[in-house]
Amino acid sequence: MKPLIVEQVHKQYGEKKAVNGISFEVEAGEIYGLLGANGAGKTTTMRMVLGLIYPDEGRILYHGKPYTQEQLSMLGYLPEERGLYPRVKVSDQLIYLAQLRGMNKKDADANLKRWLDRFEVPEYYNKRVEELSKGNQQKIQFIASVIHRPRIVILDEAFSGLDPVNVELLKSTVKELRDAGTSMLFSTHRMEHVEELCRNITILHRSNPVLQGSLREIKKRYPREKVVLRTEGEVAGLEKLSGVTAVQKHEYGYEVGIAEESAAANILRHALEQTTIHKFEIMEPTLNEIFIKAVGGDLHE
Amino acid sequence: MNSFWTVAGFTMKNKFKGKSFLITTLIFVVILCIGSNLPYIISLFDKNGDKAANIGYAIDARAVEGTKIAEQLRQTYAAQENPAIKLIEYPDLGSTEQNEKALKDAVANKKIKGYLLFGPVNETGLPTVTYKSEKLMDEKTSQALEQGIQIVKTDIVLKDSGLTDQQKSMLLSPVVINTMQIAASDGAGGAGNGKTESQQGVDMGFVTFLLLLLFFGIMISGQMIASEITAEKSSRVMEIIVTSVSPLKQMFGKIFGMFVVGLVQIVAYVLVVIINVNLPHNNSAFMQYDIDLTKVDPLLLVYGLLFYVMGFLLYATLFAAVGSIVSRTEDLGQAVMPITMLSLAGFYITTFSISNPDTMLVKVTSFIPFFSPFVMLLRVGLANPPIWQVIVSIAILLVSIYAAGWLSAKIYRTGVLLYGKRPSWKELRKAMKAYKV
Repeated sequence: MKPLIVEQVHKQYGEKKAVNGISFEVEAGEIYGLLGANGAGKTTTMRMVLGLIYPDEGRILYHGKPYTQEQLSMLGYLPEERGLYPRVKVSDQLIYLAQLRGMNKKDADANLKRWLDRFEVPEYYNKRVEELSKGNQQKIQFIASVIHRPRIVILDEAFSGLDPVNVELLKSTVKELRDAGTSMLFSTHRMEHVEELCRNITILHRSNPVLQGSLREIKKRYPREKVVLRTEGEVAGLEKLSGVTAVQKHEYGYEVGIAEESAAANILRHALEQTTIHKFEIMEPTLNEIFIKAVGGDLHE
Repeated sequence: MNSFWTVAGFTMKNKFKGKSFLITTLIFVVILCIGSNLPYIISLFDKNGDKAANIGYAIDARAVEGTKIAEQLRQTYAAQENPAIKLIEYPDLGSTEQNEKALKDAVANKKIKGYLLFGPVNETGLPTVTYKSEKLMDEKTSQALEQGIQIVKTDIVLKDSGLTDQQKSMLLSPVVINTMQIAASDGAGGAGNGKTESQQGVDMGFVTFLLLLLFFGIMISGQMIASEITAEKSSRVMEIIVTSVSPLKQMFGKIFGMFVVGLVQIVAYVLVVIINVNLPHNNSAFMQYDIDLTKVDPLLLVYGLLFYVMGFLLYATLFAAVGSIVSRTEDLGQAVMPITMLSLAGFYITTFSISNPDTMLVKVTSFIPFFSPFVMLLRVGLANPPIWQVIVSIAILLVSIYAAGWLSAKIYRTGVLLYGKRPSWKELRKAMKAYKV
């Protein structure tokens, strides 16, 4: 039984269609990427999964069962807009939040201590949230979303606003949770995180799912259209070769756009005739490029 | 049900721990301590007034009539049980000027407060009386003087009238009207056997006290509920909470938690008052003002609690709803204005009607939900309304609590997810439809 199944879900806000027929499944121990520009419908989708709002059409199943209040205890949520009680002690509020999700006080306390140790900040137990730095508040917030050992965790912009060290720390924690069998729904604007963590993704554009499937499949679907070339000397006349669509000169060498993969061989031959080659690579499209292609130029709505 | 208690417990814990809560409670306790000791404190300052003021006069052979009257006045005061004035006679030094000089010296030496000079007898049969002192005469002294002279005058006039002493005292005794508040039919006020004037006074004071507690209790806890919800919303912790517990449980958990906090506060205040009032030094002070708190009808206390609970629930749900649609604490004051106005209106109707609790305005508003907790309490306390009216009023109140709770829960469910500017009714309705609440 798959932990989370979203089936043909629609949501309309008045005149505006917020989500138009999204479907996906998340396996146990899988991180599912939900991508999209701002306002594409990610948050609405997540809120529907959380049961905050009900879909107009379609259904959402948790371990095969429809949403009930009891499901809440196995859901964890890290909202995009972070928030905790600023004047309440970390221990008080995290135990409170864990209790609200059905954990008993003793377990919650033990779990909290374990998590604080894991993040190497056990001294925060008795501190008030307003005393902590923003990055550390994020850690506490993260603990708040997983302290009750949820089976499904929804992470909205999990790593935003963190320094690289803390991003690594949280990323490794997320991977640990994944390996322990937790299903995660993950949204971010940072494509490199998706490439690193997610097996399957959905890209939403203006409420519509435009691209969906396993990351590897999606990448295969997109032709390799870029060659990176690093050479000893200059290479002239690259743009005149057939099949070459664009040539960009960088500090490290050339980035050549190609219409089809067969053109790459010509480029290699052409360059070899002129100078020594340090590096030649036919690049796989990055998720970033795929995303921009899928969503088009109107990223900034 | 479990998370309801968790929310209520968390709300209580944070409030009881909070410094501001402790400080406001302490301030109120201090005010109440002072208030309930006020009669005693006044009597402390009044002690000097209780002692008879020494007023001098000189025996003057050149004004026999005046001296005679002064002597009579002295005896009148001396015969009184607790005289306000004690006349002290000074011997004749031979001339009026010398006499007055001796009296002035006595004033300077603080032996007497002032002195009386008696002039020649005028057409009323009495000499003109002049009181001289460094200070203006206080009201108590001047009243005592006037009364004394009046008695002396009456004595002089009646001396030869042949009236017996009994007749005289009948003539002199003031007219007293005793008022009793009774219940002509069976009412809720418990005035069955009639209430004496002093009991009415105590009731009035007690009802005022209850109404104040009711009003401030409801307003302060209501505001706290609204501001806590808005704070949760603006700090975005709400997003986590609404995904952990149903909004309904959260809202009513919060309301219940705050209710307990408010109740604890009120019980503390009442205890402080009771303890203070029962302190030994206060007994006589209250007695002096004819305040007997044992005369307070316990039924009134029950009604007070009943109307507090219902008024609280009615207002608290609305405060919660308003708190849920506001995104920033700065906007809250403006948003709760209508509710504040509503409760202020109810409260003012009672303050203006406290000495006249049987007007049409009071009768009508005692059935209107937002006013009835205040106004019906006033009627029950002071006017003895028919019991069916009280029941109808409570029934209307219960129905409105249910309606307000239902509406507030709907607004709350939607409001907590709406950020940005305060939504209009139209936007709110649209959002409710979208969220299917």
